[in-house]
Amino acid sequence: MTVTDPHAPALRLEGVRKVYPMADGEVVALERADLTVDRGEIVALVGPSGSGKTTLCSIAGGILRASGGTIVVGGDDISGYSPKQLTAFRRRAVGFVFQTVNLVPFLTARENLLVVDEIGARTGAPARARADQLLEELGLADRAKNLPSQLSGGQRQRVAIGRALMNDPTLVLFDEPTSALDSKLGRQVMELIRSEMTARGIAAIVVTHDERITAFADRTVHISDGVLDA
Amino acid sequence: MFLALKEMRRAKVRFTLLMAAVGLLVFLILFQQSLQNGLITAFVGAVRNQSAPVLVYSVDGRRVIQGSVIGPELEAQVRDAVAGGRVGRIGQGTFTVTADDALSEATVLGYEEEGLGSPTTLVTGRLPQGPGEAVASAADEAAGFGVGDVVRIEPGGLEVRVVGLADDIQLNVAPTLFVAYETYLDAVRSRNPDAGTPPPNVLAVEPAPGISAGDTAALINAASDDLDALTRADAAAKTPGVAQVQQSFRVIFLLYGLVVPLVTGLFFLIVTFQKAPSLTLLRAIGAPAGRLVAALLVQVLLVVGGGLAIGIGLYAPLSVQRIGGITLRFETAAVIGWSIALLVLGTASSVVSARRVVAIDPAAALGGTGMDR
Ligand SMILES: Nc1ncnc2c1ncn2[C@@H]1O[C@H](COP(=O)(O)OP(=O)(O)OP(=O)(O)O)[C@@H](O)[C@H]1O
Ligand SMILES: [Mg+2]
Repeated sequence: MTVTDPHAPALRLEGVRKVYPMADGEVVALERADLTVDRGEIVALVGPSGSGKTTLCSIAGGILRASGGTIVVGGDDISGYSPKQLTAFRRRAVGFVFQTVNLVPFLTARENLLVVDEIGARTGAPARARADQLLEELGLADRAKNLPSQLSGGQRQRVAIGRALMNDPTLVLFDEPTSALDSKLGRQVMELIRSEMTARGIAAIVVTHDERITAFADRTVHISDGVLDA
Repeated sequence: MFLALKEMRRAKVRFTLLMAAVGLLVFLILFQQSLQNGLITAFVGAVRNQSAPVLVYSVDGRRVIQGSVIGPELEAQVRDAVAGGRVGRIGQGTFTVTADDALSEATVLGYEEEGLGSPTTLVTGRLPQGPGEAVASAADEAAGFGVGDVVRIEPGGLEVRVVGLADDIQLNVAPTLFVAYETYLDAVRSRNPDAGTPPPNVLAVEPAPGISAGDTAALINAASDDLDALTRADAAAKTPGVAQVQQSFRVIFLLYGLVVPLVTGLFFLIVTFQKAPSLTLLRAIGAPAGRLVAALLVQVLLVVGGGLAIGIGLYAPLSVQRIGGITLRFETAAVIGWSIALLVLGTASSVVSARRVVAIDPAAALGGTGMDR
């Protein structure tokens, strides 16, 4: 395992490209993206649908391989990682809150957090303590034993946030965390993200369509047609 | 273990149903295994569990004791061929008898000498020591063939007293009496006073020292085209009908051997499809594919293992029953063999599901444009 440099930025993208080969030519989802996110910094990523936001987050989080460029997360250059190395990297260094499916339906709220430990180090008691603490902070202590189907949309989103924080990541990637929520709930979830990230000094990219959400970020980056504005 | 067990706990009904289905199949397999063995034993147990290592039939008899006749000339040829060994006569007939005040059919087997056609193991009592004594098949004890019971050969009325019982010595699924050769001749004469002294049906042979049963049989067969010598095991296995019964059951077992893995394989394939979004999510947050495959295997083994437990649990009490004249046994070898076979087949059947799990692309968890699932 790589020793993460505590002074390196949380994320450094240099000239990252993503091209999807298609039957009739190719789709350029990301065009030479350069982006640096500092430790503890929250960056809002705003852009129209299909502009490449999810693509950028997936590459930064080691889910997708870039077609070119350099990706360094917390000092680890993951650009040349094999699928196996990327799996271990995702488990260790990043947290995800996805646009769609986020929770395992047959696991309770608490188990959806514990699963992070189960697929990795299996530390047992420390993981349970951490899960309970996160649920407490997220205001879900009394919902710990509920299945996702027994939770409201906002509660589910909070469980997903807790899950993303379980592995004490360097970087958390939120892909439209508020899109399924009304604006009041959306604001509450953003406040929660803000306070959790700040308290832990974890960097985050928050993807959104909603310009109002950007108020919670340190910085806003716009993307359109795969091109980032600097 | 965590994922596998939590999922099973949350989907108790479906996993319990599958386990019950596997259990039922296991029960049917094992029960039919007992039935097959019981049936064959009731058919040729007398051949299998008599003491002579080699039996000699006449070719005309087609390996049925009652159909075989060994005339004086053939008998002399056998005695020459096994010089140094021992040869004894065996006679057999099916008689109408009165046992427990009821008329029934019974097989009477007469043998000349102990070790040459006598029952090998008794469960109680002793071998016949004089005229009018018999060892009866233990399966028919309750039907008037218990120790101390007197069986009357009809229509002559010759009385035979049961002095011992042996397991698995029926012939042709009928109550069977092993008697001294003289008693057998008496029985034949009591039914038909003009019968005289019928020739033996088959000869029981004990090989000369240092010669195997197989070699002895070969020697006898070489001595005459009219002789058909078989080792004890061969004589049982080659009795007409035995192979056909085994063949039929083999087809049944083959079908079961296909159905069980098919059922579990399909079940887990459906489950894997249904939870693909969860599996994708887990892969995306860093679960190694191997962990997810391991969880699948744990479930397969638990379901098949649980099914085996249920099946054996149902089978154990029923396996020691008697159905008609057929004695069922708890077949330990079949239980172990099928347990291993089904665990292996069940695991093999989940290969398709495992491949699906391995093939999952974590990028499918992204959702959003072009990736909605
Ligand atoms: N697997 C794929 N194959 C081909 N093209 C793809 C694939 N995934 C994404 N794209 C294309 O790449 C571009 C960027 O997609 P991406 O999902 O990053 O957009 P997005 O900004 O997240 O959109 P949204 O706001 O709707 O979620 C789009 O044109 C999309 O059609
Ligand atoms: Mg998207």
